[in-house]
Amino acid sequence: MEKYYLGLDGGSTYLKAALMKDKKVVGTVVYPTGIDNNGVAKKIVAALCKKYGISRTDIGYIMATGYSRKILEVADDDISEITAHAYGVRVTAPKEYRPGMVIDIGGQDSKIIYLDANYNVKNFTMNDKCAAGTGKFMEVIAQILETTIDQVGALSLESTAPCDINSTCVVFAQSEVISLVARKVDRRDILAGMHLSMAKRIIKMMKKSEKGGDILMTGGGALNIGIHRAFEEEMMKDVYVAKYPQFNGAVGAAFIASERNEVSSKVVKDTTLERC
Amino acid sequence: MAEPNGINERQRELFIRKSTRVAASYLKRAKALSEMPDAAKPFFDVLENIYIKLTDIQKPEDMKSIGTLCVMVPAELIYAAGAMPVRLCSGSYTAYSIGDDYIPRDACPLVKAVMGFAKVGALPAFDNCTMLVAPVTCDCKKKLAGVMDSVKNFSRKNTVPLHVPPLKKDDADTEVFLKELYRLIPILEKETGVQITARSLAEGINMVGNAQYEMSEFLKFRRHDPALISGTQVMAVMNAYSYMPVNLWAEQMHRLNGDMIRRLEQGHFVSRKNQPRILVTGSPIAFPNIKIPLLIEEMGGVLAADETCMGERGLYDPVSVIDPSFDGMMRALASRYIKPCTCPVFVDNSQRIYRIQQLIKEHKIQGVIYHVLRGCLVYDYEYQLMEEAMGKLDIPIIRVESDYNEEDVEQLRIRIEAFIELIKLKELKKEA
Repeated sequence: MEKYYLGLDGGSTYLKAALMKDKKVVGTVVYPTGIDNNGVAKKIVAALCKKYGISRTDIGYIMATGYSRKILEVADDDISEITAHAYGVRVTAPKEYRPGMVIDIGGQDSKIIYLDANYNVKNFTMNDKCAAGTGKFMEVIAQILETTIDQVGALSLESTAPCDINSTCVVFAQSEVISLVARKVDRRDILAGMHLSMAKRIIKMMKKSEKGGDILMTGGGALNIGIHRAFEEEMMKDVYVAKYPQFNGAVGAAFIASERNEVSSKVVKDTTLERC
Repeated sequence: MAEPNGINERQRELFIRKSTRVAASYLKRAKALSEMPDAAKPFFDVLENIYIKLTDIQKPEDMKSIGTLCVMVPAELIYAAGAMPVRLCSGSYTAYSIGDDYIPRDACPLVKAVMGFAKVGALPAFDNCTMLVAPVTCDCKKKLAGVMDSVKNFSRKNTVPLHVPPLKKDDADTEVFLKELYRLIPILEKETGVQITARSLAEGINMVGNAQYEMSEFLKFRRHDPALISGTQVMAVMNAYSYMPVNLWAEQMHRLNGDMIRRLEQGHFVSRKNQPRILVTGSPIAFPNIKIPLLIEEMGGVLAADETCMGERGLYDPVSVIDPSFDGMMRALASRYIKPCTCPVFVDNSQRIYRIQQLIKEHKIQGVIYHVLRGCLVYDYEYQLMEEAMGKLDIPIIRVESDYNEEDVEQLRIRIEAFIELIKLKELKKEA
């Protein structure tokens, strides 16, 4: 019987899991990361097994990725988020997507990955030491506007006159938004402005030299229709959204786990310089 | 006089506690990468003496130390004057945090670290320099040269800016630098009380030439795949050059080359055949800021070559004397320190790309990590050109920006780890 393969993506905010079989996603689970990454990972494995009526031994291999990838004891091995996301889009990208650029918006970082026509990573860029252009940015602004991150997208689409938010820094943008609120600006316009500001910030990270292919969004940020539209507006191009965007890293890790004999045993295993 | 630079004795004590601890931890990590060749130990001892035990440089008593910056100050001239050059370009995170208060925020961390050490006066090897020869190179170094003398109670009483022409192609440019070197002669002579003669200059050229010969021999071993020595340890060896009399460094290098021959014969390698071979280029990598070489090797890469000014650049090109007269030697010096120099402060620096292409071929490089220190504009400028050139060669390249602190290590780690995976996957595709 074909085994199941599990990918765990230990992010800054949530721990995501994707279970795969026959290179297809069987199911996904998400838990808040909290302070005990390891405990949460164990719980997730148990919950998945229960949900799909399988035992731990039915899982052939567990691959971890994300910030806590090195410390998850349940995992057999780990791989960087960049590689995981690049693999994930092989499964999650819509059929019509021609590999080119992947924009990933996570909880505390955002990254851009450039793929060649065969989904191989050509290059990548990430934001530096700063929460501008990340999910955290949305979260902070949503809180001031007394809404939640899952609502901001839909609300912003109702805006008729997006306002300018000039600060890219989360803290400065926060005070900017507070002063907009004080001036009784419609919160829908503020949210639309926030999405445009984030999109602009991320577009600045893009390399002018990398052209060709389509644009795909992954990560929890891609669940937000507002930022999706903002990218389309700013780049004047169609932007695709991956299936299970939040789980793209976990799906990629599971995909690599399923190919471990072909890829991961050679790529993943040698992670330290041999001490001889 | 108790607080000459606004730093009291207690602050100085705390500074030393922190800076020695940081230096020790980096030395330890570098040593732990792979078994060190016996002959590499003395270089590590030098770094330990300078940065942790806080001793002066081991050299003859009557030999003065002359501080230098960058790679454009001819060591040969200083040796000819009976002194030794001590390169003050530093990678100290602790000194950087002190210098940060005196130097504009957007300036590079290297000049902040130099300023920090000057203010605190914690390293005898630095403080015992009686003079500083500061080449006028990038804006940060230029302005640093201008403010060094304002540091009070600082034994370096005299900072001598050395004009480096921003162009280097025409003979007229070398002529400008030649005049500068002639101007430097009486200044050095006055400082040391030793006259620079044709004989002492020839000796200086020979001494440095000998070190360069050993270096070129060593580079042959560094080309070997699998690797014979960890590249991070090589960076430490190269950094130690700043704090050793050149003949001593060459002697130790000769021993290290002996170790390399033995390792080659015994098949003693520190990497496996399929580990990605990486070249580092870009902003200076000065001890103890060796976090990028360390991360590369801790994440499974092999640092197989570097094109940096604290690494091979300073010692790669020998002085070639065609006319053995005094003026002939001076011309050879001026030419060597300007023409082949691949520092991006020069307007046209296409030689740097050629040199990197050469290194990629010789050292069997599979990927390039381009290091940019925050505020180091000249290196960042050349990234675009480098990316284009690497694209043509189908060599992956990644730009990593960093500063003198340990807070960005995780961000750097993920980039470097993903880059190494990228190379491995690329090679795998090639096989298939």
